[in-house]
Amino acid sequence: MPITNITANLPAGPAAGFRQIGTEPITQAPSGFADMLKSAIADVNQKQNQSDSATAALAQGKPIDLHEVMIASQKATITLQAALEIRNKAVEAYQEIMRMQV
Amino acid sequence: MTMFHSMNISSSALTAQRLRMDVISSNMANAESTRGKLVNGEWQPYKRKMVVMQPREAAFSHVLKSAMSGVPSAGNGVKVTRIAEDDAPFKLVFDPEHPDANEEGYVQMPNVDPLKEMVDLISTTRSYEANVTVLNSSKAMLMKALEIGK
Repeated sequence: MPITNITANLPAGPAAGFRQIGTEPITQAPSGFADMLKSAIADVNQKQNQSDSATAALAQGKPIDLHEVMIASQKATITLQAALEIRNKAVEAYQEIMRMQV
Repeated sequence: MTMFHSMNISSSALTAQRLRMDVISSNMANAESTRGKLVNGEWQPYKRKMVVMQPREAAFSHVLKSAMSGVPSAGNGVKVTRIAEDDAPFKLVFDPEHPDANEEGYVQMPNVDPLKEMVDLISTTRSYEANVTVLNSSKAMLMKALEIGK
């Protein structure tokens, strides 16, 4: 895949793009790398939001089980770790390419 | 999401065990309650309660997907379908001063056996711990997967 395609598929402003990711669920199957990245980031964001709302509900004294709060935070941790690993791999690959002698 | 399927199953088990714990607490607290329910103008003592669990049914879309892809489903965890009452006979205690004593001076006491409740309590605690262990192993497995290629 040409590298230009990645930037072409991304939304214009990064802030606008992220808000859009958080609100609307991604329904169609991811096609390119950009879509896959988008859906992965959306998932990470969703898990973080779920963890936040569960913690807030517990703090406010709403009827929520303690284990559900803990599990939500664990899920958020795991998805974030996975996202970090993927970012590291992507950056590593990019740097490897940039080090190439031409 | 399939990545956290085992976690969701364990979560449902933890919820079920918490409810079981609540029911045991209620039984223990009401071990001496002589006025549980009013039947035909007569007070009946508290009846011991117990939870009935059953595997949680998958949604139709999940069943269809698993049938079409040929990948068997691991189930969807557990749920408490109802809280049943124990129909064992009440204990009769001789206590003529008690307000709920009958003409012969006997009081009907709940059919709660504290010893049995203690055994259930230990079973519930251990079950909860076991499910937490499953959850932790599930997390450890996922974190190990992230270490692939390091």
